[in-house]
Amino acid sequence: MSTDDVPNRRRERLYELGVAAFVVALGIVVVWQTRDIRVSPMNAKIGPRIIPYIVGSGLVVVGVWYAVDVWRGTPTVGGGEDAEDVDADASTDWWTIVWIAASLLAYLALLERTGFIVASSVLFFVAAVGMGSRRFARDAGVAVVLSTAVYLLFTRGLSLRLPEGIVPLIVSMAGA
Amino acid sequence: MGNLVDGFGVALTPENLLWALVGVLLGTFVGVLPGIGPALTVALLLPVTYDLEPISAFIMFAGIYYGAMYGGSTTSILLNTPGESASIVTAIEGNMMAKRGRGAAALATAAIGSFVAGTLATVALTFVAPVMVRVALRFGEAEYVALIVLAFVAITSMLGDSLVRGLASLFVGIAIGLVGIDSMTGQSRFTFGVPQLLNGIDVVTVAVGLFAVGETLWVASHLRKGPTEVTKIDGAAWLTREDLSRSWKPWLRGTALGFPIGALPAGGAEIPTFLSYSLEKRLSKHPEEFGKGAIEGVAGPEAANNASAAGVLVPLLTLGLPTSATAAILLVAFQRYGLNPGPLLFDEDPELVWGLIASLYVGNVMLLILNLPLARVWVKLLSIPRPLLYAGILVFAGLGTYSLNNSTVDLVVLYVLGAVGFAMRRFAIPVAPAVVGVILGPEMETHFRRALQISQGDYSTFVTRPIAVSIFAVALLMLVGPLVVRRMMESRSAG
Repeated sequence: MSTDDVPNRRRERLYELGVAAFVVALGIVVVWQTRDIRVSPMNAKIGPRIIPYIVGSGLVVVGVWYAVDVWRGTPTVGGGEDAEDVDADASTDWWTIVWIAASLLAYLALLERTGFIVASSVLFFVAAVGMGSRRFARDAGVAVVLSTAVYLLFTRGLSLRLPEGIVPLIVSMAGA
Repeated sequence: MGNLVDGFGVALTPENLLWALVGVLLGTFVGVLPGIGPALTVALLLPVTYDLEPISAFIMFAGIYYGAMYGGSTTSILLNTPGESASIVTAIEGNMMAKRGRGAAALATAAIGSFVAGTLATVALTFVAPVMVRVALRFGEAEYVALIVLAFVAITSMLGDSLVRGLASLFVGIAIGLVGIDSMTGQSRFTFGVPQLLNGIDVVTVAVGLFAVGETLWVASHLRKGPTEVTKIDGAAWLTREDLSRSWKPWLRGTALGFPIGALPAGGAEIPTFLSYSLEKRLSKHPEEFGKGAIEGVAGPEAANNASAAGVLVPLLTLGLPTSATAAILLVAFQRYGLNPGPLLFDEDPELVWGLIASLYVGNVMLLILNLPLARVWVKLLSIPRPLLYAGILVFAGLGTYSLNNSTVDLVVLYVLGAVGFAMRRFAIPVAPAVVGVILGPEMETHFRRALQISQGDYSTFVTRPIAVSIFAVALLMLVGPLVVRRMMESRSAG
């Protein structure tokens, strides 16, 4: 993100004001929702509403402070540190985000229907391809092996309960 | 002392030694993976321990905790990817050493320094913890409120350079912590009619969402094209005589800085590592090497980092007060077993507390023995193709979150928090205050309301008790102090 040119800096400031507005809005929602918390007369004075009111107003104050800070100050370059993996100067690659979001939604939709192994394999494969991997066969292989190994390790070895889904069905059909 | 001996009796059984070994290996393994800091390592590995006895689980956690710290320094040195702010210095100086072909020495001074610092700091923990427990037993509700406020201030004002961003993060975290049934009256709050939210939002979901999913989204959308360069090391990690003579004093000084600052309820690991770095730079006979790969600049801060990791356990175990994101997740691990760290835990479950402390010694020895020869094996992990690495992180993020309650609602919360984490990363808002806010917010509320119940609604209870007032004063000083100093510097340079 280059902050040298004026239009960019102006846009960056606008984004940051958006973040500040989000904080203020969250504070307003907290205060507004706090009024709906039921309080018995016994707890009227030191009840479940005090802290939410403080936190809600705190959010509003911090949000306004944030906005003032952004308005007056120099914009901080977002993203923080540069590291070997990350090119903080590059603009955000939104297609990758869309791919990852798709992989996560697929996981959510599949997990309890087709089971952990299938859902995790899909998640892994779609996310990896979305991040630019082009060795499809390898990625699919790793996806299935990793998901199956994790499933077996956690359910057999550590007695965690994970949805088994359709895999046992397929295995038994293949066996029959 | 007798307690510690009993603790070793627990830690040295073959079964628990095995768990310590598994913990150390897993912690190092996950900690070495780029982009995964100690907090996330512990969060992602939580499900591994769900099935264990409490004592075994915590012995394993001790190994994971120290192993993750160690793994993080390997990544910093060879890949210049600090997993958390406390290893930024190591990343700078160690990576320069590695680029000059001194990677093996950098890894060795980090490993041995971590061992020295970890062991000395654990000794200090052994002696300080019982004293703290005696002090803590005299704390009332108001004092706990003050301590938590102090921890809030510390974690917000010390991370990053923008106080208001830290505060925004903290308040968002506290707000997230409000969701669910109010523990004192049973009223539901901020659940928006979703029954699954009645139990609140788990800190693990918050940490995994903000750190893992948010980080993955950020890194993936800014992935450097082309293969990443892992700096090569030749030979096993070892020190020459000269390296050793330049390292041992920084180790000790780093420990001396790291433990006390970590142990204060206002600690954290960032300050001691930066202090140690500038101290070593001033004391070094080779100040010109700093910034270009000076071994003192790795030895000191790494020791400080590890010593403060042990120091952070003092407020965590004796007061139930986490002062780092990693400690916050360790506290969650305790709560999952229905255990509440604090002065009473030392009385109620000495076997567990002292077994845990004893296994810190054991874990340190294991790390040293394992990691000097294994350094080159861990290095291989650094060349995992990034798409596969981050896809794998997502798989484990999903597993860890879903297995909390076997509920897909948690996944939806995870995704929302992942988007928030991405935005925070984008706008340089620190994540750790939010994580600490989620876990300490409800604690503060409970103590706050109990204090007011005891005082029958009289708010002066917070300002009439001497200990509470002093803690509040320190917190205020830490909050306002930096602002005043900056203002003074500005006016001086202007005038």
